[in-house]
Amino acid sequence: MNEIKSPYKWVGKNNIRPDGVPKVTGTAKYSNDYTLPGTLFGKILRSPHAHARIKSIDTSAAEALPGVKAVLTAEDFPDQNFDYIGPDRVAVNFWHVTRNILAREKVLYEGHAVAAVAAIDASTAAAACKLIKIDYEVLPHAIDVDFAMRDDAPLLFEDMIPRGIEPTPTKPSNISKRLEFKLGDVEAGFAEADIIVEKSFKTAAVHQGYIETHSCLARYDADGQGEIWSSSQGHFVVRGLTAKIIGMKLADLKCNPAELGGGFGGKTVVYVEPVAMGLSKKAGHPVRIAMSRDEVFKATGPTSGSSIDIKMGIKKDGTITAGQGEFRFQAGAFPGSPVMNGCLCAFATYDIANQHAVGYDVVCNRPKAAAYRAPGSPMAAFAVESVIDILAKKVGMDPLELRLKNAAHIGTQNIAGPKLAHEGYAETVQACLDHPAYKVKLGPNQGRGAASGYWFNGAGESGATVFVNTDGTATIATGSPDIGGSRQSMAAMAAETLGIDYDQVRATVNDTTSVPYTHVTGGSRVTFATGLAVIQACDKVIDELRARAAMIWDVDVEGVIWENGMAKPASHNVGEFEPLSYGEIAAKAPATGGPIGASGAVNAGGQAPGFATQFCDVEVDPETGKVKILRFVAAQDVGTAISPAYVEGQIQGGVVQGIGWALNEEYIYDDQGRLSNAGFLDYRIPVASDLPMAIEPVLIEVPNPNHPFGVKGVGEVCICPPMAAIANAIADAVGRRMTELPMSPPKVLDAIDNRGEAEL
Amino acid sequence: MTTPVRVHVVFSEGFSNQYTHGENEFDLEVKNFRGIIKQLDDRFPGLGAHLEDETSVAIDGQIHENTAYFQSIRDGSEIYFIPKLEGG
Repeated sequence: MNEIKSPYKWVGKNNIRPDGVPKVTGTAKYSNDYTLPGTLFGKILRSPHAHARIKSIDTSAAEALPGVKAVLTAEDFPDQNFDYIGPDRVAVNFWHVTRNILAREKVLYEGHAVAAVAAIDASTAAAACKLIKIDYEVLPHAIDVDFAMRDDAPLLFEDMIPRGIEPTPTKPSNISKRLEFKLGDVEAGFAEADIIVEKSFKTAAVHQGYIETHSCLARYDADGQGEIWSSSQGHFVVRGLTAKIIGMKLADLKCNPAELGGGFGGKTVVYVEPVAMGLSKKAGHPVRIAMSRDEVFKATGPTSGSSIDIKMGIKKDGTITAGQGEFRFQAGAFPGSPVMNGCLCAFATYDIANQHAVGYDVVCNRPKAAAYRAPGSPMAAFAVESVIDILAKKVGMDPLELRLKNAAHIGTQNIAGPKLAHEGYAETVQACLDHPAYKVKLGPNQGRGAASGYWFNGAGESGATVFVNTDGTATIATGSPDIGGSRQSMAAMAAETLGIDYDQVRATVNDTTSVPYTHVTGGSRVTFATGLAVIQACDKVIDELRARAAMIWDVDVEGVIWENGMAKPASHNVGEFEPLSYGEIAAKAPATGGPIGASGAVNAGGQAPGFATQFCDVEVDPETGKVKILRFVAAQDVGTAISPAYVEGQIQGGVVQGIGWALNEEYIYDDQGRLSNAGFLDYRIPVASDLPMAIEPVLIEVPNPNHPFGVKGVGEVCICPPMAAIANAIADAVGRRMTELPMSPPKVLDAIDNRGEAEL
Repeated sequence: MTTPVRVHVVFSEGFSNQYTHGENEFDLEVKNFRGIIKQLDDRFPGLGAHLEDETSVAIDGQIHENTAYFQSIRDGSEIYFIPKLEGG
């Protein structure tokens, strides 16, 4: 564990986590633990085909089955306009969203929801689903992104004209969008280079692998109001999306948070909530839907698989002169992959004068891609950081020294235009260089690889309310579902701001009627943005506490200051008064004006990006191709670690998920476009025996000056480097450059056995 | 009365191709950030809504996830409107 020398009393300390006891005693309530009288079982009927036209749906037999209370199809939802609303990366086209919730004209992937049933028990619901007759016209499908881009590929949408291409194409395509970013003159940069390396890479679509499946309980009342309990990273977003799809007013829909059994980005969208609400509306009863693991794999978004070409130029002295990439990302069945993030993050850790990135967002017959930790950046990092490793070998430099030489600093221009305003990257490289494990001698078939990663980190809208209780405690209410320790962090920042003890503060996550709007828990934004809202609310409370003290002393409020949790006279001129503690003023609240509380609400900016550099040692079994991770060191600029143990946990978790992405995880489709490994037995997320005894996080604290406690986001950038670090270590161990994920034993063995010469 | 400041505004190529006929750099004299959006909207009607909905903004390198009226600027500020950022 890292030793953090914090100047604060509660910030930077490993305070007792407020969710610990409920989780270990089994009393923590997840969405599936909530129940209401008369709740029905909801079940979704899903497409058995990867791509098919729906000619007709006959629900009459299902509706006639005793015990069935409602049958739902897309016809029960209002159709939506075809319009990309909102920001480009997350442009929400509700014409697409409603078709992903329940298919209309076509099914676009195996597992695509077509109809749903609410019944008195699970077996009746299942039996009713079997009675729904759907006449399909099966169509050819496209799974692979490069195949889906071909002119002769089957089209998911016969009228989809790619955006972002000039002149506008006349023929439809599976390419939804083309993006392009330029900095400097990339051709001049390559002309300046002594060595140019070009490589192509592929990454598999991988699932977030959260243990808790999607589930919800929904109730639609006769007066048009509704309530939802669901497993989500953002219940305000659940409210917004569900209300739009069902046709409800935001004020009529209350959404409740729950404990979360993992999300990692995959629970920032809705799947079952609008269906359960639609069924409840028809049945007049509450409805619960809980996905099976099979449904999670077949019907919820993994992150995009990708196909990437990278070309980089370097001078003999190690100066990188140009970087160019083409990024082709699977969006799944509907447009909206994180390809823009891939373009923007690819070279962001480096000061490269000449850059060019082109991205393609491509639909294919897979579930719609969803966010997964630093969406888009890990794929780009795998490709670029592999090429960086080759460049280092070509010029004879240590790969970390090469990264340090070309590191981005304050003032380095990003390919999107802005100049970097924060340090932190070079510090992560130097930390790895200085780490004793980087000098450990390796044995036969062993190799060492390093890689770096970049993530923007998020901010945006958050709200919080602070209530002062008459016993001297404080309640902190936020709208950020706690998936990474935010209740502990919020309580620590509130205790520090108010000047009271951590154990006097209780942080809660509240429903959409109890706190101001708060965007999702994602994008590494909560500790920064929701933290700012909490601090703002605490500052308002302090102003009120000063006013109450002034009333008790009968002086002007300007004559009262707040220090270490006490109201004190600002000077002797104010009068000689004994300081009043937070608890003493709180106890006097009824007599001095009533309850004390305040809300904070921010649209936060000024977040600092996240930088990570990692290295690992591997041993490759030349007879089986199995890669064993021997050691993993993960350095990260974490700003101020508000809760160091949680920060270390985030880093270790990101590395573990990266190891799975690198070595084992992939979606395997048969020739009919059906997923063959929709379960944890065959979809191999890492287990303890796949991991080294120690994944050592190295916390580097470069505080963010735009936050009172120096907070930066920490939850995502840690997943960017592992794939390339492991690929680079394999190349070091056995002289084979792996360019396709996962680097599973058969692929590694094939590379060892069937590639003639050693590769860099 | 707030004193006007001069700022340099840059759009990404994709954004400018879509909304401003490829014009992507502007020197403006404004009193506040709202003035930037208003002047650009006056010149390209409807652009203000696109800026608010679709872009993040970097002011002197500091990223602000949402383009909003209250953001502070100074004389000589470099302002990049970049595609909206979103994480997981």
